[in-house]
Amino acid sequence: MDNLEKNTTSKKTFVEDVDRSIYDVKDKVNASYQSHKGLTPEIVDEISREKNDPEWMREFRQNALNLYNSIQLPKWGPNLDELNMNDIVTYVRPNTAMQAKWEEVPSDIKNTFERLGIPQAERMSLAGVGAQYDSEVVYHNVREEVKSQGVIYTDMESALREHEDMVRSHFMKLVPPNDHKFAALHGAVWSGGSFVYVPPGVKVEIPLQSYFRLNAPGAGQFEHTLIIVDKGADLHFIEGCSAPKYNVANLHAGCVELYVEEGARLRYSTIENWSKNMFNLNTKRAVVEKEGKIEWVSGSFGSHISYLYPMSILKGENSKMEYTGITFAGKGQNLDTGVKVVHGAPNTSSIMNSKSISKDGGASTFRSAIRIASNAVGSKSAVSCESLMLDDNSRSDTIPVMDIRNDEVDVGHEAKIGRISDDTIFYLMSRGISEADARAMIVSGFAEPIAKELPLEYAVEMNNLIRLEMEGTIG
Amino acid sequence: MNLNIEQVNALPVRTWSWLGINDRTIEEEIPEILPYKKDPLITKDINNEKDILFAINNGSGYKVELDNVATDTDKNSNVNYKDMNNSIYYTDVSNNMKSKYLESTKEKVSSIPTGMGENTANYIKNNNNTGLFIRIPSGKKYKEPIFLEYDLDEENKTVVDLNTIYAEEDSEVTVVMHYKSKKGIPAFHSGLTYLFAEKNAIINLLQIQLLSEDALHLNDIGAVIENGGVINLVHTELGGSKAYNGCKADLKGSNSKINIETIYFGDKNRSIDMNYVMNHYGKNSNSQIHVNGALLDQSSKTFRGTIDFKKGAAGSIGQEEEYNLLFSPQIRNLTAPLILCEEENVEGKHGANSGKIDENKLFYMMSRGLDELSAKKLMIEAAFRPAMEQIPFTNLQDQISEYVKERLNNIESI
Repeated sequence: MDNLEKNTTSKKTFVEDVDRSIYDVKDKVNASYQSHKGLTPEIVDEISREKNDPEWMREFRQNALNLYNSIQLPKWGPNLDELNMNDIVTYVRPNTAMQAKWEEVPSDIKNTFERLGIPQAERMSLAGVGAQYDSEVVYHNVREEVKSQGVIYTDMESALREHEDMVRSHFMKLVPPNDHKFAALHGAVWSGGSFVYVPPGVKVEIPLQSYFRLNAPGAGQFEHTLIIVDKGADLHFIEGCSAPKYNVANLHAGCVELYVEEGARLRYSTIENWSKNMFNLNTKRAVVEKEGKIEWVSGSFGSHISYLYPMSILKGENSKMEYTGITFAGKGQNLDTGVKVVHGAPNTSSIMNSKSISKDGGASTFRSAIRIASNAVGSKSAVSCESLMLDDNSRSDTIPVMDIRNDEVDVGHEAKIGRISDDTIFYLMSRGISEADARAMIVSGFAEPIAKELPLEYAVEMNNLIRLEMEGTIG
Repeated sequence: MNLNIEQVNALPVRTWSWLGINDRTIEEEIPEILPYKKDPLITKDINNEKDILFAINNGSGYKVELDNVATDTDKNSNVNYKDMNNSIYYTDVSNNMKSKYLESTKEKVSSIPTGMGENTANYIKNNNNTGLFIRIPSGKKYKEPIFLEYDLDEENKTVVDLNTIYAEEDSEVTVVMHYKSKKGIPAFHSGLTYLFAEKNAIINLLQIQLLSEDALHLNDIGAVIENGGVINLVHTELGGSKAYNGCKADLKGSNSKINIETIYFGDKNRSIDMNYVMNHYGKNSNSQIHVNGALLDQSSKTFRGTIDFKKGAAGSIGQEEEYNLLFSPQIRNLTAPLILCEEENVEGKHGANSGKIDENKLFYMMSRGLDELSAKKLMIEAAFRPAMEQIPFTNLQDQISEYVKERLNNIESI
């Protein structure tokens, strides 16, 4: 063991950054309309006009803007001083209308998504795809068999026109604009996003996917995703996002609202790979009725600064939540991610499993909140959080809170932080595996419980992120 | 008089404010703070130790009183002692010891950060009416526990004790502080203890809080541990209507260590609020926190436990475990076990578990003839046993057992 330590102290395993080459291609900005920088009532009205909003939505936006101007920045989390809303362009409409056939999408935009593998993925394994480019959805298609089941999968603007009552009764009710400053911002300038409705009893066999691509520098993306899974229905929804890296800041303040009705199940998977100039201030919330289940799968690899905490409200008896997440914070990144759950009914359960890797000066924070209400008797909750630090330039923090308000509960929490164990390396090497391979296996094994929950192509991509050069092992 | 202290027991890193755990504000009516007139020192043997610098604030206000002063020179220079404690007397003081005290102790101790925070520490420093100062010389292992007892009653409703326990290199000392009060007296205890363990020194501090349900209790600790130093801390937070407890330890030296064993017991409307922060600076430093407790009726408990690995603390281990037995649908149990880390070569773990008594254990005990209530009471006592076994005085252990039994006897159902 002493020899092992002597031999390893001078060498380091190099874990490469995420290969961003396909994401960093910048298309020439060919917008048909772009709002001015900053945020004023006039700009909000412009956006509303451009989108042909009904009057109630225009008023909604203006009220949200007032809230945005009155709410303070949070007093916790990574520093947001670098973000100057006066420099953010809140609306960029690409020079195309939304298309239902891939061939009809303009070639520059089409090429971007083809590079990212989106249409191919649709052909191979998805029931429907939505592709958003800057502020608007440019492509939406749902397979016929899914449509025939009565599933509605469309962009938010179309939903606002064609299913106005349903949208109005749900839009920003779960995440109201007064929730926090960036929810208010979203309420004022939201654009694009997806609306999904799954009728009672319908099981959508293969996933629906939305992909968000932010191309214009200094722009913001404020897509709104609203999903209603009716009684007994079942859906897997995948969300992906990326942007090329610019020297100016980009902002993502999206909002996801998920309604899981009685006996229904929804799996919501996200792979976030925003560029490292991106401020990712996203709000996701689900409410789950009796016997319902929400599953969150989350991979966070991009952004300069992230605030991301999917929240579940277990409103109905026997409702459940599962969260599986991985965060990879590299150089220049401060990723503050986690999960929140409120147990608001008896016999509810939540399981949270989070992993994080920090390297090369990156900072990763796991932040969680479990609240078990006084009426949530018989509830169970388990949190497991593991952090792996690959060097001593990085940071990894765990900030979990449990608020329990009755005695008929079973709540457990465990967290571990550390580095790759020398004993484990020694054991693998004693079985004939090289040191470099041993370390690679351990890091892959660390991420494996999360990788196996991801859609296949994303799992492959994630495993490709961790490539170890042969000359080193982590000290 | 009105007591108002903000930012008490603050988390080192803030989180969502809707959780109500970032910090506390204390706003209470307390009795006027008058000198504590009783002599708290129970074990008098310490007075015979000529090489130990030992002093008790005699509660007579802002005067310096001297006793057993060796020379005229010592008498004149005693004026300087006002800076540290406002009213102290010494058993015996040599010039050499005074010099150490004035220059190094004052400098090292007065700026140590504490668990409850600067506002609380300043309040106690500005209002203390009693306290202990002890400095153990290098190499001296004083095995006999020094036992202090603060007994609040009609004439002594307030104890604000400012304490310093300083152990020089290779020394060892054990101090037991016992706080109790008579029922029906709206007593107030607020204490600040600075602990400094030099290289390879050991400090054992046991703070036993058995105040009545009419009392308000604040207990603050700031500690520094140098190379190889060890601090063992036992807290029994069993009484008071509201109890606040904070401890911040800077494990500065390599192989420095702190062990904290805490028990709490909430019933009726009691509230307990704790904040432990372990800052690992030294290589191979080690912190262990174990908290066991029970909540009944409408009681509430907030526990913040932070293990913070600073850069350079390679090889360090920080472990935190918390077990909460919950016995009422109206309790509130709030826990925030944090790990902060900027050093890769460390091992940090925390585990927290809250819930009812294990049904299998309960069944076993009932199968042995105990009724359900008695079985549950026994298990609460059992949860407190690990901490109580570390108390060196059998009669004090018995007092604690009786105190807990009496509280449990008043409970008709759990």
